[in-house]
Amino acid sequence: MNDPYQILGVSENASDEEIKKAYRELARKYHPDNYHDNPLADLAQEKMKEINAAYEQITKERSGGGHQQAGTGGAYGYGGTSYRQYGGQSTSSVLQQVRVAISSGDLTRAEALLANYSDHNAEWNFLRGAVCYRRGWMDEAKRYYQTACQMDPGNAEYRQALDFMENGSQTAYRPGGSPFGTEMCGGNPCLALCCLYTLCNGGGYWLCC
Amino acid sequence: MFGYVLPPLGELPQEEAERFRRAYCGLCHTLGRRYGPAARFILNYDFTFLAILLSEGGPRAVDSRRCFASPLKKREFLEPDSAMELAADESVILAYWQLRDGVADHDWLHGLKYRSLSAVLEPAYRKAAAARHGFDRRTREQLALLGALELEKCPSMDRAADAFAALLGAAAEELEDPVRRRVLGQLLYHLGRWVYLVDAADDLKKDAESGNYNPVALRFGLEDGAWTAESRHEFAQTLDHSIHMCATAFELWDFGEWQPLLERTLYTGLFHVGKAVLDGTFRRRRHAWDERKKDKD
Repeated sequence: MNDPYQILGVSENASDEEIKKAYRELARKYHPDNYHDNPLADLAQEKMKEINAAYEQITKERSGGGHQQAGTGGAYGYGGTSYRQYGGQSTSSVLQQVRVAISSGDLTRAEALLANYSDHNAEWNFLRGAVCYRRGWMDEAKRYYQTACQMDPGNAEYRQALDFMENGSQTAYRPGGSPFGTEMCGGNPCLALCCLYTLCNGGGYWLCC
Repeated sequence: MFGYVLPPLGELPQEEAERFRRAYCGLCHTLGRRYGPAARFILNYDFTFLAILLSEGGPRAVDSRRCFASPLKKREFLEPDSAMELAADESVILAYWQLRDGVADHDWLHGLKYRSLSAVLEPAYRKAAAARHGFDRRTREQLALLGALELEKCPSMDRAADAFAALLGAAAEELEDPVRRRVLGQLLYHLGRWVYLVDAADDLKKDAESGNYNPVALRFGLEDGAWTAESRHEFAQTLDHSIHMCATAFELWDFGEWQPLLERTLYTGLFHVGKAVLDGTFRRRRHAWDERKKDKD
């Protein structure tokens, strides 16, 4: 295994407090919430495992080869299952197949199955939204989720998906914990932009119309 | 379409800004060596950003030289390597097709500058297209698709943005490592989506006057090119989702020495530019210049 200190980005002389802080920052970054429905969630999950193992190893070593400390050290006990998505129960076997196709990343198959399914019920709209989201079509994803919620207001799965579209990026990870978002960006944007044009001849694409 | 991905140089430590400048000059020298001095005019920050994303991230050879932009003082630049050459080739292909697009969009007189510049770039383009056949084909396909969507006045901004985003995402397809290809593919796709949407938002007023196709105006029903509070908020949300997808991809690969610069660009620079575009303060600089030119005429 790689050096656990290197994985957490701290020196071997770091205090317990510093190590915990570094661990928490990384755990926040690779947290399943930050990779909600993300096509790269599997990679984040691997990272998370690596970080958890590194933190566990360090706390174990520092407690003197401690046998009892292992496992309790990780303030965040993220299991592997929380990255898994679209695990809900379907109302039809075709829609169940769509869920499997989306989970395995086979969006073309999911789309084909949905296109041939004539009952455009709440779940159909939800799954259409999920395919759009995976493709990066964020605006349409949100609109399908909205329709799903209108058709079945009591469904927690659809509500959660729509909630994420509306508020999810606000809670997204940003280094140092400052808020994430175009409308959240404070200060004087003009000032920041003025400072951009300091290289050579500005680097602007003067042809662009 | 270019000129929106800007690192917040003023907020970066001197050392990081200097590192970015070395890449900028490095790409310029790579373009010059591969395609002759005339090809250097396509240089911009976006292409530099592409070169940084495609670079291996390890220590790089640095040289220093005087050049046209700095005739007196020698400036340090990154020596060309295979990643820089890939970025240079892809930049030439993108710039060339952007110019051809300008030729198609304008009448004979107004298309003159596009025609002459694309003629200057023609030999470079031929060489780049031969070296990166797949990327050239993909660029042509995606731009043709984009042109068709514009013609039919496609009301889905996701569909229109997808045509451009997929084109930028294709820049990662030449990479060998499968994990890196996935990570950069997603990063570039969403950066492309963000660029396309921000560009459309920046053109709202102009397109409302000229009646040109604007996917953002169609999506939100903005007839006079002015935002309503609700549509502006919704649009900012969709931009943020793309920035989030870029950022989450970025965190899954070690970009070595470029880590601080990329982090600040993705988590800060894009927000600043997006906000300025939404506030209508981003184009002001260029507008003022256009107005002056008009007065002279």
